[in-house]
Amino acid sequence: MNKIKEIKNELLNERYFEIDHFSGLKIFVYPKENYSSAYAIFGTKYGSIDNCFKSGENGEYITVPEGIAHFLEHKLFESEERGAFERYSETGASANAYTSFDKTCYLFSCTGNFSASLEILLDFVTSPYFTPETVRKEQGIIGQEIKMTNDEPSWASLFTLLGAMYKNHPVSIDIAGTTQSISKITADLLYDCYNAFYNLNNMALAVAGNVNVDEVLAVADKILKTAPDKKIERNFEEEPKEVVSRYAEKHLDVARPLFAIGYKEDVGNTRRTLKQSLESEIMLDIIAGKTSVLYEKMMNSALTNTTFNAEYFEGQGYGAHIFSGESENPDEVRKCIDEEILRLQKDGIDKTEFERIKKKHYGKFIMDFDDVDAVANCLINDYFNGDGLFDGLSVLESITAEDINRRLCEAIDVENSSMSVIKAE
Amino acid sequence: MSKIKYSETADGIRLLCVNTEKFKTNYINIDLFTPLGEDLPAQYVLTSLLSHISGNYPTVKSFNSKIESLYGASFDSSIGNYGDNMRMSFFLELPDDRFALYGEKPSEEAVDFLTDVLLNPLCSDGKFREEAAEREIRFALEDLEAKKNDKRAYALSRLKQLMCENEKYGVDSEWLENEVRSLTPERLFAAYKKLLSEAQIVVTACGSLNEAMLYEKFTAFANKIENRNPAELTSEFVTGADEIRYFSESMKMMNQSKLVIGLRSGMENESDDYFAYRIMTDVFGGGPYSRLFANVREKLGLCYYCGARLIKQKGIIFIQSGIENENYQKALDEITEQLNVMKNGEFTDEELEASKRALADAYCGVEDSPSGVCSFFASQCFAKSLVNGEEEAKALLKVTREDVIKCAQKTVIDSVYLLSGEDSNE
Repeated sequence: MNKIKEIKNELLNERYFEIDHFSGLKIFVYPKENYSSAYAIFGTKYGSIDNCFKSGENGEYITVPEGIAHFLEHKLFESEERGAFERYSETGASANAYTSFDKTCYLFSCTGNFSASLEILLDFVTSPYFTPETVRKEQGIIGQEIKMTNDEPSWASLFTLLGAMYKNHPVSIDIAGTTQSISKITADLLYDCYNAFYNLNNMALAVAGNVNVDEVLAVADKILKTAPDKKIERNFEEEPKEVVSRYAEKHLDVARPLFAIGYKEDVGNTRRTLKQSLESEIMLDIIAGKTSVLYEKMMNSALTNTTFNAEYFEGQGYGAHIFSGESENPDEVRKCIDEEILRLQKDGIDKTEFERIKKKHYGKFIMDFDDVDAVANCLINDYFNGDGLFDGLSVLESITAEDINRRLCEAIDVENSSMSVIKAE
Repeated sequence: MSKIKYSETADGIRLLCVNTEKFKTNYINIDLFTPLGEDLPAQYVLTSLLSHISGNYPTVKSFNSKIESLYGASFDSSIGNYGDNMRMSFFLELPDDRFALYGEKPSEEAVDFLTDVLLNPLCSDGKFREEAAEREIRFALEDLEAKKNDKRAYALSRLKQLMCENEKYGVDSEWLENEVRSLTPERLFAAYKKLLSEAQIVVTACGSLNEAMLYEKFTAFANKIENRNPAELTSEFVTGADEIRYFSESMKMMNQSKLVIGLRSGMENESDDYFAYRIMTDVFGGGPYSRLFANVREKLGLCYYCGARLIKQKGIIFIQSGIENENYQKALDEITEQLNVMKNGEFTDEELEASKRALADAYCGVEDSPSGVCSFFASQCFAKSLVNGEEEAKALLKVTREDVIKCAQKTVIDSVYLLSGEDSNE
């Protein structure tokens, strides 16, 4: 039996349905009136960081080559007969997939033939087919994808920084792996990973737009079979509190140096709560957002330019407040950011600024609900993080200036940061 | 489908307005078009300057605080080519007034802010304020110099410049950088005045914004501009090519080589067999069902990406791929072979139908986001009549195999460009 729950939000005048499907899969259906398009995303809680795990009752931990989750994403599109892209070409849907640090998602958007496209999605993701020949061919294609991203300065900057911050945590490994690591991938290893993580109890389906519960369930009931809930245990080596090194650099042909400065947070093996993440975002706006004192100072003193940006980067067992941009003098940028953080930790934040920035986040939250892609993606993200789609609104409402002052002192230690610099030789 | 209203103010400002309650967001976009010319360096700087400070909000902090106070509005600008013309855009989006917490009307305030930003920049005595102008010149220059950081985009821009060196479209990047470097606050201000006077201005709005209010505000906006005299916009369509020209350049510390090929489609103007060319380009190198994806990537495994794109305003097709240096000839031969497949009509009916279905499906969804609505209709701002996404989809579905072959037979390779790495990090 499928269990269906309706979840509403009065302010937004929106609702969606959360379904416990008999197969073990969690399904979300978010109908949008007057929309022509529909967007579906089918994801597993399995990403690049899950490279040491055991599954089932008596298994032992196995360590798999770096980049295998992403490799698996590519390979699932193929099957013994007709590949997924070929099948989608008969429905007109636009399909894609992505792998991140902690999940792998398969998606499509369409305006017509929704049920037929959903059937393809559910079918190909649950029907693996790998052979040594197809694995070999993909090594060439992914090898080119890796080389392409290695040439992207901002990508290189992030991973150089993560390497300087994390000693043991696999977040510092490139999502696609390296040309060497993917050469060790075999069809058997792909099946091991598939069987462990592509269990419907470890997955979710979210659909938004011109859709209804009945049509989604008609397809899900037809394609999905009940899956026993297999226990997955991930093994992460303990990560020291301290960064590995204060500074790291890499050489690429760039016009001017790119910097990324990360303040490592001591998080043990946990994830941050939704409230902590939102507090961090507000806090970063106050420290370095476009309305901050620091931003204006750095623009006017020619220390950096409009590429300057701050983001909160977090997941299971890692968390960092990261500032990045271009500068001829990254050391000076780092000094300015350190000083501003210390000042705010000592003096506290300005309440008027805080209220305005909170209002900004309220507005951004509302605008996200216009976009069916964003809605479906958020449903999956929030579910994997243990949150509900509308929770952000009430959590945001509850955040006070005191919360930000507390988080500012707890989450950032200016002595525990790394800086990566990408520059020409 | 939404209803679009078209109107024009006395001074030739085109207003495209889609009034709908469907969204929680209001979106407004202002495009300024001029022929590409000697003012481009100044226009480059103005795009950034006008979106960072203004007479009423003279500091970065005060300017951004105003935007932030409009419930987290996003405001940004961009500049690019529109055929042989320059297109400068300013866009603003914010939550609809029904979400305002204190009964205020942020959307009307946002429209006022947008018009004020364009009409009242930070200037006095016939020039922009010196320190602000200098800062924005630095931003523009650093942005231009950093174009080489994105190898894929850089390779494409190099091909454009080399292939179209005798057309306005092929802007010389070195000239642009040098001219930006030598700009002064006075020259910037003169270019700003000329821009408002000579630009074709198109305003596109989507959401609950009232058309009458917009019409009134933009009429007042137009009245404040001195000597409105919009320049005519034209684009040169070059057809055919005498012989293929080959270019190659190298860059240090680059892992993957970039291959870019420029083709002349044979289109003689923007609407010349446009739908047939759109389908032809898509079967050739559009989605995963295309000839280039299926053969260069999937069959030969030579690359991660290989695709073709039609530039409607110039009748040019660009092919882009990232490859190993040693596979250059192999990739070029296969791409040429696939073009011949198109010319000889050797593509399958399934490939043709797949392309028609995919494009028609996508067109039917263009009105599902406020920015999508605005960019879709803004792209038709100079067309004789406006069509919605479904009508566009119907026109695409009418394209036949013969139409596609005819287009492919007129298409020729003009230039081939390779950007290769001098050494490898791996």
